[in-house]
Amino acid sequence: MRVNILIGGKAGQGINKVSEIVSRVLTGSGYYTFNYRDYPSLIRGGHNFNVLSVSDARVGSVESKLDIVVAMDDKTVELHKGELKKDGIVIMFEEFKSLGRNLNIALSGALIKILGIDLSVLIEEIKSQFKESDEAVVAAEKGFESQEKKFDFKKLGGEIEIMHGSKAVALGAVESDIDLYLAYPMTPATGVMHELAARQYDGKFMVFQPESEVATVNAGLGASFAGAKVMIGSSGGGYDLMTEGLSLQGISEIPLVVYLASRPGPGTGVPTYSLQNDLDVALRGGHGEFPRVVIAPGDPIECVGSVNECMYLSEKFGCLSILLSDKHLAESEFSFDKKCYDKKVSKLLKVDVIRKIPGEGIVKASSYEHDADGNTSESAELCRKNADARVAKYGKIKKECEKFEMVKLYGPKDAKNLVIGWGSTKSVILDALDSIDGSIKNGKGDWKFLQVLYMKPLSSKIREEIEKVSEGGGNVILVEQNVTGQLGRLIREKTGLKLNNRILKYDSRPFYCDELKEELLKF
Amino acid sequence: MDANEIKQNIGTKEVNTWCPGCPNFLILESVKKAVAEMISKGKVRQEDFAITTDIGCHAKIFDYLNLSGIYGLHGRALPTGLGLCLGNPNLKVLSFMGDGAIYSEGAGHFFNIGRFNPNMVLIVHDNQSFSLTTGQPTPTSQQGYKSKAEPIGEVDVPINPIKVALGLGIGFIARCNARDFNHTAEILKKAINYNGFAFVEIIQDCLIFNKDINGKDKMMYKVEDNADMKKAYKIADEWDYNGKKGKIGLGVLYSVEKESLDEKWHALGKLKSEGVGWKGFDN
Repeated sequence: MRVNILIGGKAGQGINKVSEIVSRVLTGSGYYTFNYRDYPSLIRGGHNFNVLSVSDARVGSVESKLDIVVAMDDKTVELHKGELKKDGIVIMFEEFKSLGRNLNIALSGALIKILGIDLSVLIEEIKSQFKESDEAVVAAEKGFESQEKKFDFKKLGGEIEIMHGSKAVALGAVESDIDLYLAYPMTPATGVMHELAARQYDGKFMVFQPESEVATVNAGLGASFAGAKVMIGSSGGGYDLMTEGLSLQGISEIPLVVYLASRPGPGTGVPTYSLQNDLDVALRGGHGEFPRVVIAPGDPIECVGSVNECMYLSEKFGCLSILLSDKHLAESEFSFDKKCYDKKVSKLLKVDVIRKIPGEGIVKASSYEHDADGNTSESAELCRKNADARVAKYGKIKKECEKFEMVKLYGPKDAKNLVIGWGSTKSVILDALDSIDGSIKNGKGDWKFLQVLYMKPLSSKIREEIEKVSEGGGNVILVEQNVTGQLGRLIREKTGLKLNNRILKYDSRPFYCDELKEELLKF
Repeated sequence: MDANEIKQNIGTKEVNTWCPGCPNFLILESVKKAVAEMISKGKVRQEDFAITTDIGCHAKIFDYLNLSGIYGLHGRALPTGLGLCLGNPNLKVLSFMGDGAIYSEGAGHFFNIGRFNPNMVLIVHDNQSFSLTTGQPTPTSQQGYKSKAEPIGEVDVPINPIKVALGLGIGFIARCNARDFNHTAEILKKAINYNGFAFVEIIQDCLIFNKDINGKDKMMYKVEDNADMKKAYKIADEWDYNGKKGKIGLGVLYSVEKESLDEKWHALGKLKSEGVGWKGFDN
């Protein structure tokens, strides 16, 4: 059973509140939800909408055809009526206009009724959220009574948790004992700053906003050099500004983790939408030749693990680690079995600062080529030796990374067709393959999915999988949300293998599950 | 150990590549003197100091000081130093910058540092030109200064860094003459002991480029430590950096108490009271 609900209105009207309440009620009843947030770059007015997909099985995407439209203004109906299924339902705001600020509660009540959930579950949720809940309860009842039951979301077992990627990155960093997070605000990276800032008051770590991204990266390196476990964060243009500091990291070998949440570029691009267009710059930003790690998690649980691996690798090797995300992963609300999350947290690596720091002796780091004491040298021999040492360090990093899940294979190992993708497209690929023939959930069928988590170093398993499927006469299909197929180009660079079958979406909107399914079936 | 013995150990054996006779040698001497005297008092250790430099002639001081630190990027010694303060508020942080680095490339950092007010010292080697890149004008070069970048002469009026610093709300502002290294050492000690961000502008000659502005010693005079903003502006107005007219007041031009970074941030305050950085902090 899968239901897609669109909740639309003006910025500031509280559409997020509706999807939040309904998501919590549904996950509390044992269902999985996925909430996609679509909003323009403005604070009040305009047209925002969320699409909430609900299912009794794992779900990580939305579909283009809607079962319910919840409209907080006329524009929502106007814009989204065409997306409704034949028997789709529209819940209009007008009926509840008199409720004022409790309008969104009434709409939640209406939705709950249609989905076939008991009113008492909603009231419990409202009481846990609002101190003075009397008016809200009346609004919920009014909404509930206005509709007829259509679906039957009976209570299931299981503890389901809701989380967006930003929160997961923040929690992963806290679990890895982060000391400092430095960032200058930029959508969609800011979510991590907000999540961490709200948690800093126990004095175990600190969030600081320097005057620019340039200051952020240089201060980050200074703090790390002084012994703190540091992460910095930005997006697109802010990351571009940081690249002088990434290069400084390369020569000074001060541990540094950079959270890069991409959004559509070039330039200011489309600030509040999503595109996987910054893999290239994550791999190459910063002049000179020096080692780095780039990890791209695909869902919140992976975010927790990846940030931990970034911090671990940076500290162990004195290297740069980039955690690559995007708006879709950072801001969409995923749901998962809480046990899976707890298991991930319990397995995180300990991040220890063992290097000598100022205060413990004389320690020097430099942006110049330098000798073992950290003093400047331009000797030809030293230039060659240091360059060789940087290459050798990358060799060690590569070896260490093999201990981690650099790629993940889903579905039957001997499936005929192979989909390759990365980052935020993971969940929609899994959903699309299951909607074709249930390959992923049943472990039987014609499709498998290779998710690439480590972009640098790149796993040798990618070549093996591609060759295996090609030799068996199956299709290898690359799925990315960008216009040039950046992972495809990376694979070609590293393996010489060209992936000709590509599904690329680059309208700054994520794939719909049914849209991707149709595209996959064309091969 | 007495201060002279300690001073020996604050230098390094690196080959010095400053031009013969460059006043940078004297700035180096005053830094060593100030640091050695502070260590000899027993309250601070050599390893408690951490420096940041950026790029330029001045920055070569990094190689000549046996102190921890980061030889950073052009214009970035301030945020790098701020980072050291965020990483361990117990460090004695000194950042060395040139007039081009701080007033041009790093101006955005200068603009905000008084607001953050970290416990550190900014030492500006102001020779009114970019010298390591062969003499282009900086924001403190006088009008008419001829360089390869502006063969007909600098057209812009220079900024007055002291007035800028006063306007930015920086709590400790001093000016020194590179040649008077005993006085500079005394001012540096006051700057290091100041609770918050201390800005020390050192006037120095460049023997190769922008020679027209050299030799201002006769214009200089010493002022008493001052805490009055109006008086500080008055002193600052006595010389506009645009030529050799006027008087150049040296000393602590302005010093007032301000809440420092580690007093404003709970976590840093905790590190400071425990005498550790994040590494030694049990979180």
